[in-house]
This record gives sequence, C-alpha cells and structure tokens, in this order.
Amino acid sequence: MHAESFFFCCCLWKCVCVRRRSTVASLLRRRCANCFDCPCCMHTLSTRATNIPAPLADDPTKTTMKKAYYLACGFCRWTSRDVGMADKSVASGGWQEPENPHAQRISKLIEYYQQLAHREKQERDRKKMARRRQCMPLAFSQHTIHVVEKYGLGTRLQRQRPGAPISALAGLSLKEGEDQKEITIEPAQALDEVEPLPEDCYTRPISLPEVTTLRQRLLQPDFQPAGASQLHPRHKHLLMKRSLRCRKCEHNLSKPEFNPTSIKFKIQLVAVSYIPEVRIMSIPNLRHTKESQVLLTLTNPVENVTHVTLAACEEEDPDDVNSTAKVLVPSKELVLAGKDAAAEYDELAEPQDFQDDPDIVAFRKSNKIGFFIKVIPQKEDDSDVTVTFRMRHDFRNLTAPVRPSEDGGDAAPEAIWLTHHVELRLGPLAP
Amino acid sequence: MADKLNTQKSVKIAAGAVVCVESEIRGDVTIGPRTVVHPKARIIAEAGPIVIGEGNLIEEQALIINSYPENITPDSEVEPKTMTIGTNNVFEVGCVSQALKIGDNNVIESKADVGRNVILTSGCIIGAFCQVNTCEVIPENTVIYGSGCMRRVQTERPQPQTLQLDFLMKILPNYHHLKKTIKASHTTS
Repeated sequence: MHAESFFFCCCLWKCVCVRRRSTVASLLRRRCANCFDCPCCMHTLSTRATNIPAPLADDPTKTTMKKAYYLACGFCRWTSRDVGMADKSVASGGWQEPENPHAQRISKLIEYYQQLAHREKQERDRKKMARRRQCMPLAFSQHTIHVVEKYGLGTRLQRQRPGAPISALAGLSLKEGEDQKEITIEPAQALDEVEPLPEDCYTRPISLPEVTTLRQRLLQPDFQPAGASQLHPRHKHLLMKRSLRCRKCEHNLSKPEFNPTSIKFKIQLVAVSYIPEVRIMSIPNLRHTKESQVLLTLTNPVENVTHVTLAACEEEDPDDVNSTAKVLVPSKELVLAGKDAAAEYDELAEPQDFQDDPDIVAFRKSNKIGFFIKVIPQKEDDSDVTVTFRMRHDFRNLTAPVRPSEDGGDAAPEAIWLTHHVELRLGPLAP
Repeated sequence: MADKLNTQKSVKIAAGAVVCVESEIRGDVTIGPRTVVHPKARIIAEAGPIVIGEGNLIEEQALIINSYPENITPDSEVEPKTMTIGTNNVFEVGCVSQALKIGDNNVIESKADVGRNVILTSGCIIGAFCQVNTCEVIPENTVIYGSGCMRRVQTERPQPQTLQLDFLMKILPNYHHLKKTIKASHTTS
C-alpha cells in the first residue's frame, strides 16, 4: 500500500499526482490553500457573508451595502471576529496566516544543515570509493551513490540503527551542481536573566474561557498561544488517498487518479453478487430433541439459472465447530431462476414452471425460493441453537474473457461447482 | 371561582404569534407576539404556568415542559413556579427544555437537554445533543458544545432569527391551520 495522491476533501482542490513526493504540497506543508480549521474545535471553517454599510468610493456621504466575509465554525460557533481578524471583502484567499516570528532563524538553520549533510555525504562517498578502488577517478563518486543520506532512512543499515535521528530532514540533500556557498549560523545564546513571572501569578483568579486547552495550544506548535484571543485559524491538513492492492493476486482495488473526483472503485468480484444468499425467514418454537421446521430463503444474485444442492455436514468436518443441532436438509437439487431486473415491469412474462415439491419448497418468487429444513436441537443449555450444512452451487465467471470454441460458435462459460459451509444461528430454545 | 380556574388553565396566544394546530400546548401557557410554534412542538405546563416572550422560534418536536421535580409527587402542596422564557430564543428540533428561567437570544440546538435547575441568561448556545443538568446560572454568551460539553465564551451573542421568523410567519399559514389568538384576560382589575 502506498500513498500516491493528495486529496483535499474540503474543497476538492486538485493536486498533481506525483510518484514520489508532491512538490506543490510540500511547499504548502501539506495543507490546503483555501480551507481553514477552527482553532477551537478543529472542524472546518465556513465562510459567511454579512452586509455592512460602507461608504461609496465616489460619494463618502452615501453608504451602500457591501458584502463582508468572515470565517465561522458551525460546531462551536467560533468566528474570526473573536480573535480580532477583520472581515475581508473577498470570499476566499484573503485570509492570512500569522507569520512565525522564528521563521527566518529556522530556515537559516535548515539551509545550514542541508549543506552539512551534503558535505558529509560527499566525504563518505569519497572514502568508500578510495578504499575499494584506488584507480577510480574522483568525479565518479559524486554520481554513483544516491541512497545514503545523513538524517535519512536511505539504506537498511541506517534504518536498523537505534537512536537514529528522525527522518523529518530526509530529502534535504542539495541538488547536484548547486553552488555551495558557505553558510554560517550563530549558535544559540543562553541568557542569564529570564523574565520574571508577574507578581500576581499565584493570586490572580483564572478565567477559564480565556485560557486555551492543551490540545488547542499544541496544534499550533509555532505559536502555542496561551490565550484564547490569540488562536488564529490554520490551513486545513490534507488527506491522502492511498492505492490499495490485494495481497494475494496484486490486483488494484482502488487507485487514485489525477483528479480525485474521478477515482473509481475497482473491485469487480464481490462475493455477494455471485453466491446465492441464504436467509432465515421464520423459526418456530424450538424444543430439545423435537423436530421442527425452519423456513429459509435462497436468493439468486446472478442472471442465469442456478442449481443448489444442500448436504448435511459430515462427522469429521473441520469447519463444523459450533453446531448444536441436527439438521435434515432437502436432498433434491433446488433450482433458482435468474435475477431479472426488468421482471417487475414486464407483466407479460410467463412464470417459469419448475415443478417444486411442496414439501420442500414453500414458495417461489422471481429469483427467490423459500424452503424448509428440519432442525432437531441437541443441546439443552441456554446458548443459541446453531445448525450447519454445506451448500453446493454452480458458478459461472462472466468477467473472465470467453475463449472462442473450436467450431467457431460462442461457448458459454463453464460452470464451476463451489461448496460453502453455511452456519445459521436460530436463537435460543423456546422456554 | 370556576371561571378563574378555567382562565388559569387556558392557553393565551397573543396577536401576531403563529401557533400551528398540530402543536400540543397544555396548561397555563402564555405566548407572546411574533413567536412561531411549529407543528408537533409540545409546551406542557404541569407544575406551573409558562410565559413565553416575543420573537421565539420553537421548532418541531421541541418539548418545553414545566414539570414536577422527580422526588415530589403531584399531590403534595408545592408552590407552582412560573417558567419564563424571554425574547428571540430558538428551540431547535427535538430539544427538551425544563429550565425555569431563560433569558433572551439563547439557542438550544437539536436534541439538547436542559435541566430544571439551569438558568440561561442571554446569548447562550447549548450545542446539539448536549445535556446540561447542573445547578447553575450559565453566564452570558457561553457556548456549550461537543460530546464533553466543552464551554467557551463568544464575543458576541447569536443573531436573532428575524429573517427566518418572517419567512415562517408568511409560509406556515399557507399549509397549516393556526390556533386562534386569545388575548390574555386580566383577571385582576
């Protein structure tokens, strides 16, 4: 399973699907450009409009109604006016995220470490090459090994080393050929004097609505505002759409597309649409060691006629674990008519004559039949009466390509006989 | 004497209020002008009268009930307490309100449950499905939301639903019969 496309479920903003890492998304730090999260309850904010009187550009004395937009949360009723953000005149795109005061220092540090990582990688490559083959030209080393990066999980060796630094800085290697300017950073300075706490720190009563919760605070790690009036909305995180493959046959189950709205579900062979369905219709009072008739229905999900044979489970059946009752199933083969989607509209259709045995088949209705089985509960305890039997039916794989037969005519797909173990829980014994 | 009892138990609907016939109003209830009571709303005054102010919006399946507290049987002598509801409140679908005193501009959202000992001041919003059965006065402009009934304070109170009220007062009479407005008769003159 691997993540392939970035999907903004909030506004379906399309993002280019890139195999490795989306450069656009990484620029935005994997956040949507249009949508915001409520800083209070983390739901999506919606933009609301109000009409405010505003002076006309030509004539300052007259006022006209202009639309002003603000962000509001439908869940906790937070609005952008709560933190003092002025209403904008543009519906989207006018909202600015506050600048991180440390942004410059952080980016400078990142650059410095990028350069350091690149330099160390080069040295390591050079050492490796020099140890193995002394006759290799020096230029070769720079193009060969791409895998190992410092602070990255490039090779297995690095992955297994405990205590390895986090991979957040992976991918920091400079592109080949970039100018390597010397970047120096000032080391962080420790201050002797720290701002003292305010004097009424211990005596001032706390007003709980003004203090942010830990969760609200930590969701904005750059600012970590302590007061609720400084909680600004952040851009919404992306959701990722993953492509899934079946483990056994490597078929694609769902695969993202360039446009997230056109992703289709690719599973075609769902069992429910091929295997006849057994349902319990009515259960009489079940009594210990007394035979009662239970009415079951069999529904045919495919469009061609299906033949079903039922058989009791054998003595040594490994699937037969929970059975608490003996069951007598009809021995004759049951025939199910095909599912006809147009049957309800077609009044002139002749009902097919199947010659059902009334002792076995209770009723027949288009692709469904009701039939009886006899149940003799064996156990007298309070648990549910469970019966098991085996169902054998024919299955035609219509999705597989049909090979033309030798005489040139169309050959119907061959029927494969499948046997399933069916277990029914019939409920407790009658009191 | 019989007259007095009768007038006490009747429903008094002011002119300008829109009360649908399908709503159930029992007991001594006074409804102010510009209030809209949707069908299937229930206003039950068991243990005392209910006075509802102006401009309120009471939606379907809302239940406003002035009932006896649980540990008191109806037979014993209890002073009937009046439940007062102010102006511009919204009782959304399916909410249950037993609060004895509700101020102005409050919103009780869908399926919320407000207990008897709660006093809502003004501008409070009780979020959907929140159950508030503490014994307290909720300060102004408080929002109670979420499954843990988290609270926060808004800076401004919720806007009165004037547009919705106007719309309903025009449309509801087209589709529902309305209860007749009865002026509140002054028994003491």
